[in-house]
Amino acid sequence: MASQADFRDRQFLAVIGDEDSVTGLLLAGIGHVTAPPDNQKNFLVVDAKTDNSAIEAAFENFTTERKDIGIVLINQHVADRIRNRIDTYTQAFPTVLEIPSKDHPYDPEKDSVLRRVRRLFGE
Amino acid sequence: MEGLLFNVNNGYIEGIVRGYRNGLLTGTNYTNMTQCETIDDLKLQLGPAYGDFLSTLPPNPSTSSLASKTTDKLVSEFRYVRANAVGSLAKFMDYVTYGYMIDNVALLITGTLHERDTRELLDRCHPLGWFETMPVLCVATNIEELYNSVLIETPLAPYFKGSLSHQDLDELNIEIVRNTLYKNYLEDFYEFVNSHPDMAGTPTAEVMSELLEFEADRRAINITLNSFGTELSKADRKKLYPSFGLLYPEGTLMLSRADDFEGVRLAVEGVSDYKSFFEAAGLGGGPGGPGNMAGGSGSESRSLEDMFYQKEMEIAKSAFTRQFTFAIVYAWVKLREQEIRNITWIAECIAQNQKERIGNYISVF
Amino acid sequence: MSGAADREAVFPTRQSLGIMKAKLKGAETGHNLLKRKSEALTKRFREITHRIDEAKRKMGRVMQIASLSLAEVTYAVGGNIGYQIQESAKSARFRIRAKQENVSGVLLPAFEAYQTEGNNDFAMTGLGKGGQQVQRCRETYARAVEALVELASLQTAFVILDEVIKVVNRRVNAIEHVIIPRTENTIKYINSELDELDREEFYRLKKVANKKQRDTAAADVEAKKRKELLEKENETPDADHATGPTDLLAAEDDQDVIF
Repeated sequence: MASQADFRDRQFLAVIGDEDSVTGLLLAGIGHVTAPPDNQKNFLVVDAKTDNSAIEAAFENFTTERKDIGIVLINQHVADRIRNRIDTYTQAFPTVLEIPSKDHPYDPEKDSVLRRVRRLFGE
Repeated sequence: MEGLLFNVNNGYIEGIVRGYRNGLLTGTNYTNMTQCETIDDLKLQLGPAYGDFLSTLPPNPSTSSLASKTTDKLVSEFRYVRANAVGSLAKFMDYVTYGYMIDNVALLITGTLHERDTRELLDRCHPLGWFETMPVLCVATNIEELYNSVLIETPLAPYFKGSLSHQDLDELNIEIVRNTLYKNYLEDFYEFVNSHPDMAGTPTAEVMSELLEFEADRRAINITLNSFGTELSKADRKKLYPSFGLLYPEGTLMLSRADDFEGVRLAVEGVSDYKSFFEAAGLGGGPGGPGNMAGGSGSESRSLEDMFYQKEMEIAKSAFTRQFTFAIVYAWVKLREQEIRNITWIAECIAQNQKERIGNYISVF
Repeated sequence: MSGAADREAVFPTRQSLGIMKAKLKGAETGHNLLKRKSEALTKRFREITHRIDEAKRKMGRVMQIASLSLAEVTYAVGGNIGYQIQESAKSARFRIRAKQENVSGVLLPAFEAYQTEGNNDFAMTGLGKGGQQVQRCRETYARAVEALVELASLQTAFVILDEVIKVVNRRVNAIEHVIIPRTENTIKYINSELDELDREEFYRLKKVANKKQRDTAAADVEAKKRKELLEKENETPDADHATGPTDLLAAEDDQDVIF
């Protein structure tokens, strides 16, 4: 279980997704670039050319290394590419939330949390 | 006189472009498209017009790939026409592409400022705004280098000269850079069609003046409306207004002083078209929210932006009623661009299951 | 009786019986309490799960609306603004704050979205074209993100509650299936051992009693004999006097009772 005091510093959202999703969410104002020299971004644009390892690295960075992120938003089709990593992720902080993208409508069947919900209620 | 010799050099081009214009989608096509349930259906409907270009798309393509494929068609047609153009028409067509170049250069500047890999940026550039020295931009690693060695070589150099230094590129918001360039471009283009011996006093000058004046006015109005609530000062804002157009100079002056939607409305009152736009928009949205497209309040009330597009399309359409003019090339490009936007919009509405707003496209044929 | 492995290693004494009984009672109370806690949490959990399910479905719709507003921007600007947006993002305007809620002693965090004032990275975007659409799109997306934040809170609560409920249930089960039976077994064992001792004691006492009885009977016979003898001697009185006291002493001087 996550330590209870841990979450107070978490004030940002992070996003891993396709260009449109990232653009939209950045427009909403979630984008944050940390002060130089780090220049760490809290978003990653994924396209067909992006390596799965890059996605995993970003996911790792957002979920484990950075302590200021409270919610990680990830496009469902991107999550599918690192599904195993997502399914085995059980930490409470930061929360990983699968979101639909423009070209890939939301499929509740794939969502790791919803699947857990379903498993718990014996379906 | 121009009728006598026009066809010697430009008759073929005119024929081709008029042919392309007839290939534009009509109201019936659009009606059919809005009935589609899936993107595949839409693709089928687009078959006759875009067949070859869409055939490589996978089933149920994304709207962005659809948009890029339809743009490909415009690009390839434009390139064909450009390859066949000679003399002043060729120059004229180059001018048409400068607008896209500005966008590309703005993109590259942004990329260079943030030290991105510029090669990756080249993929994102608009193909119509491609110029030969563009790949060289990759060499530049900082703004000063970009300015001194690369931008100077581009056709856009005159637009930088005198109004932007390399420090400006570093400090000013990229949007201001873009709009400054665009203003210079519009003024230059306007000057070009009205002073070039092949064009001055011909229908080309006449029609193009109308189109460019409209474009200039639209930009001035948009910049004013969009600058409310930003750090853009009135003096800086004034520098972005093109120095011609129906609103120039009184309207532009008033625009530069406007503080709100109402001020803009007063400024444009002198031009009946704009006045009616603002009245229509004012009724629907009121001050501060002149556009209704995203208000979710339905498709009947149209945003100012929509009405401007509509007006532009009408001017472009009427350009085809004239003969012996280069303006039809410009008009055709604009019409085709609008068509691409329409297709994208309809595809988007279908993909996002938002059929109630699908009628927001603009069709003039 | 179950084997030695299923009970605690105690000496079967009355004292440890008392301890064990107290322990059993404690375990039962604890079990009840935990059970109640687990029920309260599960109730909350089901409620949250239900809301997550609902919110996740709603999210699909919200995001579609947001996507469409982005499409509108693309339409109005006449190009893709994605790259520019990515590059001009500097400082988050939209942030979250975590607060806590107490459900049956479990601290559930809840995110709360807030927007910082006065930093707008995208004010100039779409200056020449489509600026209004950009602003509206921002609002639409901000609303969508608010919905997402709410969903994220629910999901965090879900994950934490899931964990806590598992722990609580594990405890409940441990108490119910291990501790209580074991304590009961121990009590049974102690009882049986004590019973065994009781029985042995009883048997021994019985034996002693038997022996005493037998001895008494033998003594009675002896006394009778002596009485008869005495009566016979009484007929000759001097003989009675001479032997009487010494014989009595001899009769007293019997075997000691061994306990």
